[in-house]
Amino acid sequence: MPALLEVRGLSTRFTTRDGIVKAVDGVSFALEPGKTLGVVGESGSGKSVTALSMMRLVAEPQGKIVGGEVLFKGADVLKMSEREVRDMRGNRIAMIFQDPMTSLNPVFRVGRQIGESLILHKGMSRKDAFDRAVQLLDMVGIPNARDRAKDYPHQFSGGMRQRAMIAMALACDPDILIADEPTTALDVTIQAQILELIMEMQERTGTAIIIITHDLGVVADIANDVMVMYAGRQVEYGESRHVFGDSLHPYTWGLLDSLPRHDSDEKGELVPIEGQPPSLINVPYGCAFHPRCPYAEEICRSEVPPLLATDTGHLSACHFSADPAFRRGMDRDQERVALK
Amino acid sequence: MLKYTVRRIFQMIPVFIGVTLILFILRAPGVLPGDPVRMITGERAIPDALREQIVKKHALDQPLHRQYVIYIGNLLQGDLGESYQRGRPVLDIFADKFPNTLRLAFAGIIVEIIIGLTAGIISAVRQYSFLDVLVTLSTSILVSVPVFWLGMLFQIFFGIKLKEWTGGAVHLPISQMSSAEFPDWAHLILPAITLASVSTAYVARIMRSQMLEAMGQDYIRTALAKGLTRRAVTFRHGLKNALIPVVTFVGIDFGVMMGGAILTETVFSWPGVGREIFLAVGQRDWPIVMGGVIIIVFLVMIINLIVDLSYALLDPRIRYGGDAE
Repeated sequence: MPALLEVRGLSTRFTTRDGIVKAVDGVSFALEPGKTLGVVGESGSGKSVTALSMMRLVAEPQGKIVGGEVLFKGADVLKMSEREVRDMRGNRIAMIFQDPMTSLNPVFRVGRQIGESLILHKGMSRKDAFDRAVQLLDMVGIPNARDRAKDYPHQFSGGMRQRAMIAMALACDPDILIADEPTTALDVTIQAQILELIMEMQERTGTAIIIITHDLGVVADIANDVMVMYAGRQVEYGESRHVFGDSLHPYTWGLLDSLPRHDSDEKGELVPIEGQPPSLINVPYGCAFHPRCPYAEEICRSEVPPLLATDTGHLSACHFSADPAFRRGMDRDQERVALK
Repeated sequence: MLKYTVRRIFQMIPVFIGVTLILFILRAPGVLPGDPVRMITGERAIPDALREQIVKKHALDQPLHRQYVIYIGNLLQGDLGESYQRGRPVLDIFADKFPNTLRLAFAGIIVEIIIGLTAGIISAVRQYSFLDVLVTLSTSILVSVPVFWLGMLFQIFFGIKLKEWTGGAVHLPISQMSSAEFPDWAHLILPAITLASVSTAYVARIMRSQMLEAMGQDYIRTALAKGLTRRAVTFRHGLKNALIPVVTFVGIDFGVMMGGAILTETVFSWPGVGREIFLAVGQRDWPIVMGGVIIIVFLVMIINLIVDLSYALLDPRIRYGGDAE
């Protein structure tokens, strides 16, 4: 199947008082219709900026997309006119955000906010848009949708607001739904419900999804493909089962180790990744992860590792990804650490 | 909402007592100079009998606290006393002057809204542009210029210099409410602009900062992600949120203006409430001063209440106690 969305070498920079931030540095990926891509990384790894860049929503003039292509159905979003981009936003590519508390406008009724894009993109009347908004609210599981559509956002609970955001994003039946940390700001009990809802909506509407999260657990269940980001770069990318099962990058290992496991009785200790993510103004020379990597060697400090295909077909950006001694998958650790 | 309103009205009572008490203490003998009888009769010597009569009529022989009780008693019956100088009921005097003050206040508030909002919005939408710098600079100057001096500058420039330069063809009226030479509305121009000057500058600044703040909110990003134009996002999603504090300011300011603008009315000889109080202070005409201040306090309190209640209409998040969900 042809790619619905293809991103090639996307780079976005921010000019700040302290220097230039390379928020996104040459990221490439593709998304097929109806599929789900998970984008994973710590805070500040460039996940959200990647999404905003695709929508051309990076705040100018501080932020600037400096290179790459975002091909949506073959057309480069980065070369579109302002008008063409607007026609695409909310219509063909829709987005939901992390904090449903602040992402809805407090002074407009929920139904009106959902209907707004229908009026804009589908040319509906105010009344038709409102009726459709009620249907959408009902679809995302808001009880008494007709009454609740007349409520203001503050009258909704956090979970309901995120449901309303999903309804808003799906209003125009988009080809792609970008969900930027859709569950992060919610109670744990609500998180699963929202994820389930997103998957259910995908089944029903066939929309492709890009889900951005720092929670590997979220992605593992639902994503077909996974892209792991670190310091604005891709470190590993490919089919979900390979990235998780046959990971060849120490950063991904670190992420996996810092995840609580539910599938064994063993109370394995959580192993956090030592250190902090780097400042994106002074990205470490060579592999950006080397200061925190327990396996780092001389080459890691001097050369940026290329993103290369591995045996399983997924891509990994570690100098040792091709080293058979290195890739003993999950049975690495102790001895290797002892060697150092 | 009703409960809240009633509670607010009850809260006015202590304010009222406080204001009247302070005014009464100020007129106690020895605090401020001036003998009321002399104010009424003038400098000429008067027979003791007449003096007695005047003292009795105004209850000046009673101890101060008795006088206060009498005054409040009359006040509650809608009687603000009689002017020392003019021999007319205070209420009648203000009833004459109030419409003039109201007219000026309306004109001022219109200037404030139109110029203040426009300047603030332009300034925020074109942040750091030439216009923004211009607005920021001129509002800084305006808030620091004394109103009476600004009024006088306007009079000199628009009334006198402009007339000289154009050979009498173009100029504006600089005093009074009407004249044979100009239509009535022309008389409003300079006083209204002067009266509104400081508030307009504040409105522009509040509007600018609120607008900038609103435009940085997450819901703006949501609106942009829907595909709305920048203009729609700014004026629909940004403006409505940014307006809430501005409306509050304008509302309260309207209350203040209705209470009479003492400086502006004096500079422009505008026969309003403020000028009346100013003249009365000079003449130690206490009933007028007292009555005027009480009317102003009352108006400001009422308007503040209306402004607070109108919050609920503008901002759906605010619901006043009593009908909580």
